[in-house]
Amino acid sequence: MSDKQQPVNPFDPATWQAGRDAYLDAWAKAMVEAVNTDQYAKATGQMLDSYLSASHPLREVLEKSMVHALQHLNMPSSTDLTALAERVTNIEMRLDDMDAKLDRIVKQFAQAAPAKPRGVAVKTKRARSTKRG
Amino acid sequence: MAETSASNPFEALDEKARRLNKALTQKAPIGQTPKAVVWTLNKAKLYRYTPVVPPEQRHPVPLLLVFALMNRPSIMDLRPGHSFVEFMVKAGYDVYLLDWGKPGKEDQHMTFADYALEYIPRAVRKMKTVSGSEEFSLLGWCIGSIITTLYASLRPDDGLRNMLLLTAPLDFTAKESLTFAKWTDERYFDLDKVLATFGNMPGEMIDYGARALKPVENYVSSYVKLFDNADDPQAVEAWHAMNTWMTDLVPIAGGAFRQLIDDLYRNNRLIKGEFVLRGERVDLARIKANLLNVIATADHITPACQSESVMSKVSSTDKELIRIKGGHIGIMAGGQAKKTWPLIDDWLASRSK
Repeated sequence: MSDKQQPVNPFDPATWQAGRDAYLDAWAKAMVEAVNTDQYAKATGQMLDSYLSASHPLREVLEKSMVHALQHLNMPSSTDLTALAERVTNIEMRLDDMDAKLDRIVKQFAQAAPAKPRGVAVKTKRARSTKRG
Repeated sequence: MAETSASNPFEALDEKARRLNKALTQKAPIGQTPKAVVWTLNKAKLYRYTPVVPPEQRHPVPLLLVFALMNRPSIMDLRPGHSFVEFMVKAGYDVYLLDWGKPGKEDQHMTFADYALEYIPRAVRKMKTVSGSEEFSLLGWCIGSIITTLYASLRPDDGLRNMLLLTAPLDFTAKESLTFAKWTDERYFDLDKVLATFGNMPGEMIDYGARALKPVENYVSSYVKLFDNADDPQAVEAWHAMNTWMTDLVPIAGGAFRQLIDDLYRNNRLIKGEFVLRGERVDLARIKANLLNVIATADHITPACQSESVMSKVSSTDKELIRIKGGHIGIMAGGQAKKTWPLIDDWLASRSK
Protein backbone atom coordinates (compact mmCIF):
# COMPACT_ATOMS: atom_id res chain seq x y z
CA MET A 1 0.00 0.00 0.00
CA SER A 2 1.52 3.31 -0.95
CA ASP A 3 1.30 6.43 1.22
CA LYS A 4 -0.90 9.10 -0.15
CA GLN A 5 0.68 12.54 -0.35
CA GLN A 6 -1.61 14.84 1.59
CA PRO A 7 -1.98 18.31 0.10
CA VAL A 8 -0.92 21.14 2.40
CA ASN A 9 -3.97 22.57 4.07
CA PRO A 10 -3.46 26.28 4.74
CA PHE A 11 -6.37 26.18 7.15
CA ASP A 12 -4.84 23.38 9.23
CA PRO A 13 -4.80 24.63 12.84
CA ALA A 14 -1.31 23.16 13.44
CA THR A 15 0.14 25.15 10.52
CA TRP A 16 -1.56 28.29 11.68
CA GLN A 17 -0.38 27.73 15.26
CA ALA A 18 3.23 27.24 14.19
CA GLY A 19 3.09 30.46 12.20
CA ARG A 20 1.52 32.31 15.09
CA ASP A 21 4.17 31.05 17.53
CA ALA A 22 6.99 32.02 15.18
CA TYR A 23 5.52 35.51 14.88
CA LEU A 24 5.16 35.85 18.66
CA ASP A 25 8.76 34.69 19.18
CA ALA A 26 10.08 37.27 16.72
CA TRP A 27 7.92 40.01 18.22
CA ALA A 28 9.03 39.03 21.74
CA LYS A 29 12.73 39.23 20.82
CA ALA A 30 12.26 42.60 19.14
CA MET A 31 10.39 43.99 22.15
CA VAL A 32 12.99 42.74 24.63
CA GLU A 33 15.65 44.56 22.61
CA ALA A 34 13.50 47.67 22.45
CA VAL A 35 12.86 47.90 26.20
CA ASN A 36 16.56 47.59 26.90
CA THR A 37 17.44 50.74 24.98
CA ASP A 38 18.19 54.14 26.45
CA GLN A 39 15.48 55.60 24.23
CA TYR A 40 12.84 53.44 25.88
CA ALA A 41 14.09 54.32 29.35
CA LYS A 42 14.03 58.01 28.41
CA ALA A 43 10.55 57.78 26.87
CA THR A 44 8.95 56.01 29.83
CA GLY A 45 10.71 58.35 32.23
CA GLN A 46 9.35 61.35 30.35
CA MET A 47 5.83 59.91 30.25
CA LEU A 48 5.88 59.30 33.99
CA ASP A 49 7.31 62.73 34.67
CA SER A 50 4.65 64.38 32.49
CA TYR A 51 1.88 62.53 34.27
CA LEU A 52 3.21 63.45 37.71
CA SER A 53 3.75 67.09 36.75
CA ALA A 54 0.35 67.44 35.07
CA SER A 55 -1.55 65.80 37.91
CA HIS A 56 0.30 67.62 40.69
CA PRO A 57 -1.79 70.86 40.70
CA LEU A 58 -5.06 68.94 40.77
CA ARG A 59 -3.86 66.64 43.51
CA GLU A 60 -2.68 69.59 45.57
CA VAL A 61 -6.03 71.38 45.22
CA LEU A 62 -7.95 68.22 46.11
CA GLU A 63 -5.78 67.58 49.13
CA LYS A 64 -6.10 71.13 50.46
CA SER A 65 -9.87 71.12 49.92
CA MET A 66 -10.20 67.82 51.70
CA VAL A 67 -8.14 68.94 54.69
CA HIS A 68 -10.15 72.17 54.87
CA ALA A 69 -13.47 70.32 54.69
CA LEU A 70 -12.45 67.77 57.31
CA GLN A 71 -11.29 70.53 59.64
CA HIS A 72 -14.67 72.23 59.35
CA LEU A 73 -16.41 68.94 60.08
CA ASN A 74 -14.09 68.43 63.05
CA MET A 75 -12.88 65.15 61.59
CA PRO A 76 -9.34 63.77 61.32
CA SER A 77 -7.43 63.99 58.05
CA SER A 78 -5.36 61.19 56.51
CA THR A 79 -2.25 62.88 57.94
CA ASP A 80 -3.75 62.67 61.43
CA LEU A 81 -4.62 59.02 60.94
CA THR A 82 -1.17 58.27 59.55
CA ALA A 83 0.46 59.82 62.60
CA LEU A 84 -1.84 57.80 64.83
CA ALA A 85 -0.99 54.59 62.98
CA GLU A 86 2.72 55.28 63.46
CA ARG A 87 2.17 55.62 67.19
CA VAL A 88 0.20 52.39 67.26
CA THR A 89 3.11 50.62 65.58
CA ASN A 90 5.47 51.96 68.25
CA ILE A 91 3.11 50.70 70.95
CA GLU A 92 3.04 47.32 69.21
CA MET A 93 6.83 47.18 69.32
CA ARG A 94 6.87 47.89 73.04
CA LEU A 95 4.22 45.22 73.62
CA ASP A 96 6.31 42.81 71.56
CA ASP A 97 9.32 43.54 73.77
CA MET A 98 7.21 42.95 76.88
CA ASP A 99 5.92 39.71 75.39
CA ALA A 100 9.50 38.58 74.77
CA LYS A 101 10.49 39.41 78.35
CA LEU A 102 7.52 37.42 79.66
CA ASP A 103 8.54 34.48 77.48
CA ARG A 104 12.03 34.62 79.00
CA ILE A 105 10.64 34.80 82.55
CA VAL A 106 8.30 31.87 81.94
CA LYS A 107 11.19 29.89 80.50
CA GLN A 108 13.39 30.69 83.47
CA PHE A 109 10.66 29.67 85.90
CA ALA A 110 10.08 26.43 84.02
CA GLN A 111 13.77 25.63 84.16
CA ALA A 112 14.16 26.61 87.82
CA ALA A 113 10.99 25.08 89.28
CA PRO A 114 11.69 21.80 91.15
CA ALA A 115 9.52 18.73 90.51
CA LYS A 116 6.46 18.90 92.79
CA PRO A 117 5.58 15.79 94.88
CA ARG A 118 2.24 14.10 94.15
CA GLY A 119 -0.47 15.66 96.28
CA VAL A 120 -2.31 13.44 98.83
CA ALA A 121 -6.03 13.36 98.45
CA VAL A 122 -7.68 15.18 101.33
CA LYS A 123 -11.06 14.07 102.42
CA THR A 124 -13.37 16.81 103.44
CA LYS A 125 -16.35 16.30 105.63
CA ARG A 126 -19.53 17.68 104.45
CA ALA A 127 -21.89 19.11 106.99
CA ARG A 128 -24.86 16.82 106.99
CA SER A 129 -28.24 18.36 107.35
CA THR A 130 -30.47 16.34 109.64
CA LYS A 131 -34.08 16.31 109.07
CA ARG A 132 -36.29 15.66 111.92
CA GLY A 133 -39.57 14.41 110.91
CA MET B 1 -11.04 14.56 9.40
CA ALA B 2 -10.70 12.60 12.66
CA GLU B 3 -13.93 11.92 14.50
CA THR B 4 -14.25 13.73 17.82
CA SER B 5 -14.29 11.52 20.88
CA ALA B 6 -16.61 13.86 22.77
CA SER B 7 -20.14 12.64 22.85
CA ASN B 8 -21.32 16.23 22.77
CA PRO B 9 -18.82 18.74 21.37
CA PHE B 10 -20.88 21.62 22.67
CA GLU B 11 -20.52 20.32 26.21
CA ALA B 12 -16.75 20.12 25.78
CA LEU B 13 -16.73 23.68 24.44
CA ASP B 14 -18.89 24.87 27.30
CA GLU B 15 -16.59 23.23 29.85
CA LYS B 16 -13.57 24.81 28.20
CA ALA B 17 -15.20 28.23 28.23
CA ARG B 18 -16.13 27.88 31.91
CA ARG B 19 -12.59 26.79 32.76
CA LEU B 20 -11.11 29.80 30.97
CA ASN B 21 -13.62 32.18 32.48
CA LYS B 22 -12.83 30.93 35.98
CA ALA B 23 -9.09 31.28 35.39
CA LEU B 24 -9.48 34.83 34.10
CA THR B 25 -12.04 36.22 36.51
CA GLN B 26 -11.66 34.44 39.85
CA LYS B 27 -8.90 34.00 42.37
CA ALA B 28 -7.39 30.54 42.75
CA PRO B 29 -6.99 29.14 46.26
CA ILE B 30 -3.26 29.48 47.01
CA GLY B 31 -1.25 29.27 50.20
CA GLN B 32 -3.20 26.24 51.37
CA THR B 33 -0.65 24.46 53.60
CA PRO B 34 -2.02 24.60 57.19
CA LYS B 35 -0.37 27.26 59.30
CA ALA B 36 -0.91 29.43 62.36
CA VAL B 37 0.05 33.00 63.11
CA VAL B 38 2.58 33.04 65.95
CA TRP B 39 3.60 36.69 65.86
CA THR B 40 2.49 39.97 64.38
CA LEU B 41 3.90 43.47 64.17
CA ASN B 42 2.20 46.22 62.20
CA LYS B 43 1.29 44.57 58.89
CA ALA B 44 3.82 41.72 59.25
CA LYS B 45 2.85 38.24 60.30
CA LEU B 46 5.01 35.28 61.20
CA TYR B 47 3.40 31.99 60.29
CA ARG B 48 4.36 28.60 61.58
CA TYR B 49 3.37 25.73 59.35
CA THR B 50 1.75 22.80 61.10
CA PRO B 51 4.33 20.02 61.31
CA VAL B 52 3.34 16.69 59.81
CA VAL B 53 6.41 14.75 60.90
CA PRO B 54 6.67 13.54 64.55
CA PRO B 55 8.95 15.75 66.70
CA GLU B 56 11.60 13.06 67.10
CA GLN B 57 11.98 12.80 63.33
CA ARG B 58 11.94 16.54 62.71
CA HIS B 59 15.02 18.65 61.99
CA PRO B 60 15.69 20.55 65.24
CA VAL B 61 16.87 23.72 63.46
CA PRO B 62 13.84 25.71 62.25
CA LEU B 63 13.70 27.35 58.83
CA LEU B 64 12.47 30.92 58.31
CA LEU B 65 11.38 31.92 54.80
CA VAL B 66 11.61 35.55 53.73
CA PHE B 67 10.28 36.70 50.37
CA ALA B 68 10.47 40.02 48.57
CA LEU B 69 8.67 43.21 49.57
CA MET B 70 6.52 43.27 46.45
CA ASN B 71 4.14 40.38 45.75
CA ARG B 72 2.90 37.96 48.35
CA PRO B 73 5.05 35.20 49.87
CA SER B 74 2.36 32.69 48.92
CA ILE B 75 4.57 31.91 45.90
CA MET B 76 6.40 29.63 48.31
CA ASP B 77 3.14 27.74 48.90
CA LEU B 78 1.39 28.03 45.57
CA ARG B 79 -0.92 25.03 45.57
CA PRO B 80 -1.05 21.50 47.01
CA GLY B 81 1.45 19.24 45.30
CA HIS B 82 3.33 22.27 43.93
CA SER B 83 4.40 23.98 47.13
CA PHE B 84 7.93 24.49 48.44
CA VAL B 85 6.53 24.94 51.95
CA GLU B 86 4.57 21.70 51.73
CA PHE B 87 7.67 19.91 50.47
CA MET B 88 9.85 21.16 53.31
CA VAL B 89 7.22 20.46 55.96
CA LYS B 90 6.94 16.89 54.71
CA ALA B 91 10.75 16.67 54.70
CA GLY B 92 10.64 17.26 58.45
CA TYR B 93 11.51 20.94 58.77
CA ASP B 94 9.89 23.26 61.27
CA VAL B 95 8.95 25.91 58.72
CA TYR B 96 8.13 29.56 59.40
CA LEU B 97 7.26 32.26 56.92
CA LEU B 98 7.46 36.00 57.42
CA ASP B 99 4.73 37.81 55.51
CA TRP B 100 5.56 41.52 55.28
CA GLY B 101 1.94 42.46 54.60
CA LYS B 102 0.92 45.51 52.56
CA PRO B 103 2.47 48.78 53.70
CA GLY B 104 0.14 51.68 54.21
CA LYS B 105 0.73 55.42 54.02
CA GLU B 106 2.04 55.32 57.59
CA ASP B 107 4.79 52.92 56.51
CA GLN B 108 6.20 55.08 53.73
CA HIS B 109 9.30 55.93 55.78
CA MET B 110 10.18 52.31 56.47
CA THR B 111 13.60 51.37 55.17
CA PHE B 112 15.73 48.27 54.90
CA ALA B 113 16.92 49.08 58.41
CA ASP B 114 13.41 48.52 59.75
CA TYR B 115 13.04 45.24 57.91
CA ALA B 116 16.52 43.91 58.72
CA LEU B 117 17.00 45.31 62.23
CA GLU B 118 13.47 45.36 63.66
CA TYR B 119 11.16 42.92 61.92
CA ILE B 120 13.54 40.05 61.25
CA PRO B 121 15.19 40.05 64.70
CA ARG B 122 11.79 40.18 66.38
CA ALA B 123 10.43 37.42 64.19
CA VAL B 124 13.54 35.36 64.89
CA ARG B 125 13.13 35.98 68.60
CA LYS B 126 9.59 34.63 68.50
CA MET B 127 10.58 31.71 66.28
CA LYS B 128 13.26 30.69 68.79
CA THR B 129 10.70 30.77 71.60
CA VAL B 130 8.15 28.74 69.69
CA SER B 131 10.63 26.23 68.26
CA GLY B 132 12.81 25.95 71.35
CA SER B 133 15.93 26.21 69.21
CA GLU B 134 18.56 28.90 69.61
CA GLU B 135 19.85 28.30 66.10
CA PHE B 136 17.94 28.67 62.86
CA SER B 137 18.16 28.70 59.08
CA LEU B 138 17.13 31.70 57.01
CA LEU B 139 16.08 31.58 53.38
CA GLY B 140 15.76 34.82 51.41
CA TRP B 141 14.38 35.02 47.89
CA CYS B 142 14.80 38.00 45.57
CA ILE B 143 14.63 41.22 47.64
CA GLY B 144 14.11 38.94 50.65
CA SER B 145 17.69 37.86 50.11
CA ILE B 146 18.84 41.49 50.30
CA ILE B 147 17.11 41.83 53.66
CA THR B 148 18.44 38.51 54.97
CA THR B 149 21.94 39.42 53.82
CA LEU B 150 21.73 42.75 55.62
CA TYR B 151 20.48 41.01 58.77
CA ALA B 152 23.15 38.30 58.60
CA SER B 153 25.87 40.95 58.25
CA LEU B 154 24.66 43.15 61.07
CA ARG B 155 23.50 40.46 63.50
CA PRO B 156 25.78 37.49 62.78
CA ASP B 157 25.62 36.20 66.37
CA ASP B 158 21.85 35.90 66.65
CA GLY B 159 21.99 32.15 66.08
CA LEU B 160 21.97 32.08 62.28
CA ARG B 161 23.42 28.71 61.32
CA ASN B 162 22.42 28.42 57.67
CA MET B 163 21.63 31.10 55.12
CA LEU B 164 20.05 30.33 51.76
CA LEU B 165 19.93 32.95 49.04
CA LEU B 166 17.70 32.47 46.01
CA THR B 167 18.12 34.71 42.95
CA ALA B 168 19.76 37.33 45.14
CA PRO B 169 20.17 40.83 43.63
CA LEU B 170 23.18 41.96 45.64
CA ASP B 171 25.69 43.22 43.07
CA PHE B 172 24.67 46.04 40.74
CA THR B 173 28.05 46.56 39.10
CA ALA B 174 27.11 45.37 35.62
CA LYS B 175 24.53 48.07 34.93
CA GLU B 176 24.49 47.39 31.20
CA SER B 177 23.07 43.94 32.00
CA LEU B 178 20.38 45.29 34.31
CA THR B 179 17.26 46.60 32.59
CA PHE B 180 15.92 48.02 35.84
CA ALA B 181 19.17 49.96 36.27
CA LYS B 182 18.61 51.61 32.87
CA TRP B 183 14.99 52.49 33.61
CA THR B 184 15.79 53.97 37.03
CA ASP B 185 18.82 55.95 35.89
CA GLU B 186 18.98 59.46 37.44
CA ARG B 187 18.58 60.99 33.99
CA TYR B 188 15.23 59.31 33.37
CA PHE B 189 13.59 58.42 36.67
CA ASP B 190 12.81 61.16 39.18
CA LEU B 191 12.76 59.13 42.35
CA ASP B 192 11.95 62.08 44.59
CA LYS B 193 8.96 63.11 42.49
CA VAL B 194 7.57 59.58 42.37
CA LEU B 195 7.82 59.05 46.12
CA ALA B 196 6.57 62.56 46.91
CA THR B 197 3.47 61.78 44.85
CA PHE B 198 2.72 58.25 45.99
CA GLY B 199 4.46 57.82 49.34
CA ASN B 200 4.98 54.14 48.74
CA MET B 201 5.95 52.77 45.34
CA PRO B 202 2.63 51.50 43.95
CA GLY B 203 2.30 47.81 43.26
CA GLU B 204 0.84 48.56 39.84
CA MET B 205 4.01 50.36 38.77
CA ILE B 206 6.22 47.56 40.05
CA ASP B 207 4.02 45.04 38.26
CA TYR B 208 4.32 47.00 35.03
CA GLY B 209 8.08 47.12 35.44
CA ALA B 210 8.33 43.37 35.96
CA ARG B 211 6.07 42.58 33.01
CA ALA B 212 7.69 45.13 30.71
CA LEU B 213 10.98 43.21 30.89
CA LYS B 214 9.33 40.69 28.57
CA PRO B 215 6.24 42.51 27.33
CA VAL B 216 5.09 40.08 24.64
CA GLU B 217 5.50 37.03 26.87
CA ASN B 218 3.70 38.65 29.78
CA TYR B 219 0.91 40.56 27.99
CA VAL B 220 0.21 38.30 25.00
CA SER B 221 1.88 34.86 24.96
CA SER B 222 0.82 33.99 28.49
CA TYR B 223 -2.84 34.26 27.49
CA VAL B 224 -2.26 32.51 24.17
CA LYS B 225 -0.73 29.56 26.05
CA LEU B 226 -3.70 29.53 28.41
CA PHE B 227 -6.06 29.27 25.47
CA ASP B 228 -3.92 26.58 23.81
CA ASN B 229 -3.99 24.50 26.99
CA ALA B 230 -7.62 25.13 27.85
CA ASP B 231 -8.43 21.45 27.37
CA ASP B 232 -5.90 20.48 30.04
CA PRO B 233 -7.39 21.17 33.52
CA GLN B 234 -3.96 20.73 35.17
CA ALA B 235 -2.33 23.30 32.91
CA VAL B 236 -5.17 25.76 33.46
CA GLU B 237 -5.00 25.23 37.21
CA ALA B 238 -1.26 25.93 37.18
CA TRP B 239 -1.77 29.11 35.14
CA HIS B 240 -4.63 30.19 37.38
CA ALA B 241 -2.61 29.80 40.57
CA MET B 242 0.39 31.64 39.18
CA ASN B 243 -1.76 34.45 37.76
CA THR B 244 -3.58 34.81 41.10
CA TRP B 245 -0.25 35.31 42.81
CA MET B 246 1.11 37.69 40.15
CA THR B 247 -1.94 39.93 40.30
CA ASP B 248 -1.95 40.22 44.11
CA LEU B 249 0.02 43.44 44.05
CA VAL B 250 1.88 44.88 47.01
CA PRO B 251 3.41 48.37 47.20
CA ILE B 252 6.98 48.85 48.43
CA ALA B 253 7.49 51.17 51.39
CA GLY B 254 8.88 54.45 50.11
CA GLY B 255 12.01 54.44 52.24
CA ALA B 256 12.97 50.94 51.20
CA PHE B 257 12.28 51.71 47.56
CA ARG B 258 14.47 54.79 47.75
CA GLN B 259 17.32 52.69 49.14
CA LEU B 260 16.76 49.99 46.52
CA ILE B 261 17.09 52.49 43.69
CA ASP B 262 19.61 54.97 45.07
CA ASP B 263 21.85 52.88 47.32
CA LEU B 264 21.71 49.68 45.33
CA TYR B 265 20.76 50.12 41.66
CA ARG B 266 22.46 53.47 41.19
CA ASN B 267 25.38 53.34 43.60
CA ASN B 268 25.92 49.64 44.34
CA ARG B 269 26.75 50.42 47.96
CA LEU B 270 26.19 46.94 49.39
CA ILE B 271 28.86 45.11 47.44
CA LYS B 272 31.21 48.10 47.72
CA GLY B 273 30.88 47.97 51.51
CA GLU B 274 29.39 51.47 51.70
CA PHE B 275 25.86 50.60 52.74
CA VAL B 276 25.05 52.01 56.17
CA LEU B 277 21.97 51.14 58.20
CA ARG B 278 21.28 53.07 61.40
CA GLY B 279 24.91 54.13 61.60
CA GLU B 280 26.22 50.58 61.13
CA ARG B 281 28.19 49.79 58.00
CA VAL B 282 27.05 46.57 56.36
CA ASP B 283 30.14 44.40 56.13
CA LEU B 284 29.47 41.21 54.20
CA ALA B 285 32.63 39.70 55.68
CA ARG B 286 30.77 39.42 58.98
CA ILE B 287 28.53 36.75 57.50
CA LYS B 288 29.79 33.42 58.81
CA ALA B 289 26.72 31.21 58.50
CA ASN B 290 26.77 28.22 56.18
CA LEU B 291 25.72 29.59 52.81
CA LEU B 292 23.82 28.13 49.87
CA ASN B 293 23.50 30.54 46.96
CA VAL B 294 21.05 29.48 44.24
CA ILE B 295 21.20 31.18 40.86
CA ALA B 296 18.62 30.79 38.10
CA THR B 297 20.51 30.67 34.81
CA ALA B 298 17.62 32.09 32.75
CA ASP B 299 16.75 34.84 35.21
CA HIS B 300 15.99 38.06 33.34
CA ILE B 301 15.07 39.94 36.54
CA THR B 302 18.18 39.09 38.55
CA PRO B 303 20.94 37.99 36.15
CA ALA B 304 23.60 35.67 37.53
CA CYS B 305 26.16 38.50 37.74
CA GLN B 306 24.12 40.01 40.59
CA SER B 307 24.44 36.96 42.82
CA GLU B 308 27.92 35.60 42.21
CA SER B 309 30.26 38.07 43.84
CA VAL B 310 28.80 37.66 47.33
CA MET B 311 30.58 34.29 47.54
CA SER B 312 33.97 35.99 47.78
CA LYS B 313 32.75 38.60 50.24
CA VAL B 314 31.42 36.40 53.06
CA SER B 315 33.54 34.71 55.73
CA SER B 316 31.53 31.51 55.67
CA THR B 317 33.78 28.46 55.45
CA ASP B 318 30.91 26.22 54.33
CA LYS B 319 29.50 27.86 51.21
CA GLU B 320 28.18 26.59 47.93
CA LEU B 321 26.82 28.16 44.76
CA ILE B 322 24.48 26.15 42.56
CA ARG B 323 23.06 27.12 39.19
CA ILE B 324 19.68 25.86 38.18
CA LYS B 325 18.21 26.15 34.73
CA GLY B 326 15.13 28.27 34.99
CA GLY B 327 13.74 31.71 35.62
CA HIS B 328 13.48 34.00 38.60
CA ILE B 329 10.24 32.45 39.82
CA GLY B 330 10.29 29.25 37.80
CA ILE B 331 13.12 27.61 39.73
CA MET B 332 10.99 27.59 42.88
CA ALA B 333 7.41 27.64 41.65
CA GLY B 334 7.46 26.61 38.01
CA GLY B 335 8.67 23.80 35.84
CA GLN B 336 12.09 23.47 37.48
CA ALA B 337 10.86 23.69 41.06
CA LYS B 338 10.78 19.96 41.69
CA LYS B 339 14.47 19.78 40.79
CA THR B 340 15.38 22.75 43.00
CA TRP B 341 13.61 21.70 46.17
CA PRO B 342 15.46 18.39 46.67
CA LEU B 343 18.76 20.19 46.15
CA ILE B 344 17.85 22.64 48.91
CA ASP B 345 16.72 19.79 51.15
CA ASP B 346 19.89 17.79 50.47
CA TRP B 347 22.06 20.76 51.41
CA LEU B 348 20.06 21.86 54.42
CA ALA B 349 19.22 18.50 56.01
CA SER B 350 22.74 17.66 57.11
CA ARG B 351 23.16 21.21 58.41
CA SER B 352 19.95 21.22 60.42
CA LYS B 353 20.85 18.57 62.98
